[in-house]
Amino acid sequence: MSPEHEHDHEPHPTPVTPDDAGSQALAEALRSSFAIVKIAMLLMVVAFFGSGGFKVRQQEKAVILRFGKPVGEGQKILLGAGWYWSYPYPIDEVVKIPITEIQSVDSTMGWYAMTHEQEVLYKTTGVEPPAGPLNPAADGYALTADRNIIHTRATLYYHIADPMRYVFTFETASNTVQNELNNALLYTAARFNVDDILTRDVAGFQDAVLQRVNDLTERDQLGIVIDNCQVQSIAPRQLQDVFNLVTTTRENRNKLLNDAHSYESQVLIHAGAQAKSIIDTASADRTRFVESITAEAKRFNDLLPKYESNPNLFAQQAYLQAVGQVLTNAEKWIQPTAENGKSREVRLMLNREPPAPKTAPANP
Amino acid sequence: MKRNAITIVIGVMLVVIFALLLFVFQVRQSEVAIVTTFEKPTAQPYEKPGAYFKWPWPIQKVYKFDQRIQNFEDKFSQTLTADNNNLIVTIYTGWQISDAKSFYPKFQGSVPAAQRILEGMLRSAQNAVIGKHNLSDFVNADPKELKFDAIENEIKAVVQSGLSTNDYGIQIEFLGFKKIELPASVTETVFDRMKNERQKLISKTENEGKAEAQIIESAADRQAAETIANADAAATRIRGEGEAAAAMVLPVFQQNPALANYLLRIDALKQSLNQRATLIFDERTPPFDLFLNFPTNAPSR
Repeated sequence: MSPEHEHDHEPHPTPVTPDDAGSQALAEALRSSFAIVKIAMLLMVVAFFGSGGFKVRQQEKAVILRFGKPVGEGQKILLGAGWYWSYPYPIDEVVKIPITEIQSVDSTMGWYAMTHEQEVLYKTTGVEPPAGPLNPAADGYALTADRNIIHTRATLYYHIADPMRYVFTFETASNTVQNELNNALLYTAARFNVDDILTRDVAGFQDAVLQRVNDLTERDQLGIVIDNCQVQSIAPRQLQDVFNLVTTTRENRNKLLNDAHSYESQVLIHAGAQAKSIIDTASADRTRFVESITAEAKRFNDLLPKYESNPNLFAQQAYLQAVGQVLTNAEKWIQPTAENGKSREVRLMLNREPPAPKTAPANP
Repeated sequence: MKRNAITIVIGVMLVVIFALLLFVFQVRQSEVAIVTTFEKPTAQPYEKPGAYFKWPWPIQKVYKFDQRIQNFEDKFSQTLTADNNNLIVTIYTGWQISDAKSFYPKFQGSVPAAQRILEGMLRSAQNAVIGKHNLSDFVNADPKELKFDAIENEIKAVVQSGLSTNDYGIQIEFLGFKKIELPASVTETVFDRMKNERQKLISKTENEGKAEAQIIESAADRQAAETIANADAAATRIRGEGEAAAAMVLPVFQQNPALANYLLRIDALKQSLNQRATLIFDERTPPFDLFLNFPTNAPSR
């Protein structure tokens, strides 16, 4: 339309002969404004074709649809990072797909209803909103295999592996992923008992959820690769106290068992030490006994010739030597013989504890 | 005439562009298009992406549909199981226009209209299938008893066969449960039961803990006693060995039993009077008999 414009008006100023300064100035102004229009048109044409340039960033892939049909064959459809040029719309259309970027979806269908403020409060301080009866229209939960009610929610992290399928086969693939995550939570909870989900096998539950999501997304060929899945499960707030009590009781039991085990090791260590000491004492006794009897036998052998040469003399000597030795240690009273040859009566006051000897005890 | 040539070229381009806009339409990747000639659909829908020819309006009209898999969730609805449990179920599906030629006349290309039909079919299929199953088919720790997947597949099959019979041109790609819940009144009784179970668990845990601790402690005591008894036995054996070794030495003493006996008595004397002894003698006992016969100390008669 603009070119026609040019055709219509540009020839006009030439035949007009300027007869006064006013019309000359007008002609001059018109000429310069037409020049501006020309430049503007040129710029528009450049802009029209220049607008076809686009950049694909590192974490993206791009597809050019020419008349609605992808340009290229097989893997060549997907354009990697770099600058490209395409015809402007409506000939070409560029679809960019974030491929390495980690996507995430949340499943909260198994969680009780929270207002935005309550959610913020819960995430920052862990304060739960007040508990009321569960309303099936608003509050979510999952049923466990043993028909308990729990709350569970999950966040799934994935990236797009097959962009063509993810974008052109599903209207909103992320919604489908989310629903399959919902389903996985529901399905897995239905297979697990409440104690396994909440305490005994938390990791196993999370793995099973991940496995189920993986199965579903593979079955439906969503063209994604799952990176990670985080599951959080809690007992209903209405029963939080009694569930906590179970945990406390379990801890108490563990403490009781730990105490029993430490008692066990203490008793066994003590018994072991005692047994060792009994055996050591016995061994020492044996050694001492054998050694002393051997020594005695040696002394006997040494003394035997002396004794045999004069038994009486030997006996008296040995006796006196022994008594002498004994008397150095003992307190002694010598009772003179009565004049009439009869025994005298002696009265003794016996302490329960005899007085310690005044002299130091000598070794036997 | 250079100027005229440019003008003609530009004019031709404009005409071509205008003609293209009138006579050509695009089918985008993932779209399907139906072309109607005087409001009558043509034989084949355009399923492949690209540019196609058509006669301009009002002779032919083009209707485009999204051929991708679309999500649809029904609103939660209450259903009775075979064992009379009320379940509140929400189902999600992925559906897709499989046959645009059938789809277009049924719904005039309106996706919400299609979803209304789908919702009704979902609800009746759900009631029919869930009514055949017990609650234990939905939740079960035994993988063999759990029929979660089977129920989903049954519902999907029922919906799909309904859609095919009516020739709606819609295909269900997948179908699953999004929520399975109980009516509010039932959750209260479930809570009561759960509380009861917890309390049982608490007392069981307590008792088990006590019993286990007792078992451990008494086993420890028994083992300790055994260890000491074994040690005592070993000690007795060791002492016996000592005595046996001593017995080997005994023949030495048998060379002169009188001497042996005498030496033993001397030793016994030394041992017994080792310390803290008070002895009372009279003068006749050696060596104090020395006092008796000492001349200066003779007792006066």
